[in-house]
Amino acid sequence: MKLLTHNLLSSHVPGLRPGGGFPLRIEAAEVRERPVPFNAAFVSRLVPRLRWDALREAAESLGRPSELPPEPTPGYEADEEFLRRLHHVLLEVEVLEGSLQCPDSGRRFPISRGVPNLLLTEDEA
Amino acid sequence: MLLEFMIMCMKLEKEIGKAFSSLSMSNRNGPFKTFSCPLMDSRGMEHEATQLEKQHVHSVYENTAAYFSDLQTKAWPRVRNFLLEQKPGSLVVDIGCGTGKYLSVNSQVYNLGCDYCEGLVEIARKKGDEVLVCDNLNLPFRDQCFNAVISIGVIHHFSTKQRRIKAIKEMARILMPGGQIMIYVWAMEQKNRRFEKQDVFVPWNKALCSRHFSESNQSGDKGGFVHTAKGQDIHPAKLVISECSYQNNLQPETDSKHPRSMDHCLPRACCMKISEEENRFYSALGRSFRSWFFSRSLDESALRKQSDKMKHLKHEGVWANSAVPIQHSRHCSLDLGHHGALLNEQSLDYDDDVFVESLSLKKPQWSPATDAPKDLSLNGGHQNVAQSKGDKSSFINGPVEDRDCICGCNKDGAGKSDASKFFKRTSTTDSTDSALDSAVSVGDQTDAMLDPKAFMRYYHVFREGELSSLVEENVPELQILSSCYDHGNWCIIAERRGT
Repeated sequence: MKLLTHNLLSSHVPGLRPGGGFPLRIEAAEVRERPVPFNAAFVSRLVPRLRWDALREAAESLGRPSELPPEPTPGYEADEEFLRRLHHVLLEVEVLEGSLQCPDSGRRFPISRGVPNLLLTEDEA
Repeated sequence: MLLEFMIMCMKLEKEIGKAFSSLSMSNRNGPFKTFSCPLMDSRGMEHEATQLEKQHVHSVYENTAAYFSDLQTKAWPRVRNFLLEQKPGSLVVDIGCGTGKYLSVNSQVYNLGCDYCEGLVEIARKKGDEVLVCDNLNLPFRDQCFNAVISIGVIHHFSTKQRRIKAIKEMARILMPGGQIMIYVWAMEQKNRRFEKQDVFVPWNKALCSRHFSESNQSGDKGGFVHTAKGQDIHPAKLVISECSYQNNLQPETDSKHPRSMDHCLPRACCMKISEEENRFYSALGRSFRSWFFSRSLDESALRKQSDKMKHLKHEGVWANSAVPIQHSRHCSLDLGHHGALLNEQSLDYDDDVFVESLSLKKPQWSPATDAPKDLSLNGGHQNVAQSKGDKSSFINGPVEDRDCICGCNKDGAGKSDASKFFKRTSTTDSTDSALDSAVSVGDQTDAMLDPKAFMRYYHVFREGELSSLVEENVPELQILSSCYDHGNWCIIAERRGT
């Protein structure tokens, strides 16, 4: 699971307050870094879509000191260094084993072999 | 006596028709809403639906996933184009991605795939795709975060209209305003013929996965399959056939006088406890991989149950006529979007229809036409059966047994009533002999190669316009941009409204 994916994920356990399921807390047992070809335009376009705080939090929870500023700085589109660091965090770091915890309900969803399983049981749904 | 009975049926059909109409108009307070059947409240229906899908969608995909890994799959061109048209840097998700066929089409966008089936997702993962396991009905994504969503050959696996709506609404929820969704579903109307009913079970045959599908359709379906022994030999008997603990809420008056070799009605249709007779049946069935079974839609089941209660009809085995008729088809059940690729180009003669064979049956079964009122509008009041020619099998004017109390009526456009026309014929597998006969007569003779054990996958095949209507009437947040028919599928592209 890449951190870009994580940034889109929200717990859907029923009965949460609005927005209560985001962001999922990562508990990582195994993390891997893998190079991915850098595409500046691609990364730049992603910026407005991201929940920035959640991204920084996620990066730090993986033991990687956040190299990201508290907020995307104006003019980031042209800032290659910024974009490369963002690229690295979003796309090159993967959680292979661990779990994702719903912040409100505490419900844990497993990640195994890089694949998060977010199914609810029939009772939960 | 017969006349009174028929009049009663006509009245009942009217009620059913009204109820169907109200089902399709979600805002209307129709007669349906006044029904309260403790046996089929919405939670009960949800449970039934979940169980059906568990047995006949999820279980099948899980058990057959291993066979998909070396399948040369073909991506639908239209879907490819849709993906390639997305702007670079877009966030795109494939809901029901299977083995991830579409996740590598456009490398300029971020492709995420998800599927209910872990086995399939594993395969996609091994290819390097970014995937997760989740439920279309409860998508674990925040609102409005994707530029594009695709749903290719997925929502036809949902067994009730409400679930299909919910699936679409969930996908609309995660779409950004201005974002687009493409949905593909299997069409009732296939080339040269159509499914006779909308809710079907389609057998899956593992031999088919051994093939390497070429771009062109197979010229013939006889002997065209090469059966290569697979290392992993999944025994359906072990995996699929298990004690069916699935409680049948729909049929409290279990008809013990009419034992069946195979449970046909929903939910019993899902019961995979295979008996000796069934084994023979499946063996014969396996000889024709093109066969499929019909099931009754859960919506219809619920409706009928409530109508029955209202009418205080005396009957045994409400679902006597839910005996699943077998109808062969030229389609392979193997999909992941590939039905079109496997569609046999040869035209089907309706005389091949197994229903013709069952003319010899002693006990004809009757069932209401599916979506009768809708039929009126779509078919100009004509009988909605796939028998535009050779109607010999469609109308039977014979004695109706007590237990066959629910009769379907298709009013013809002129409103004239012709008793004989009111009864839509379904064959019955009450007698497995007839089923066996039928299956054998279908005739793919080089079937020693085919796996006699088949998994049954549930589909709700869509009529023309049904998908569009479903969206227009129930998902106002989506605006349909285009719709088309593509290789046996109905396809729509819709946009999330708003700014």
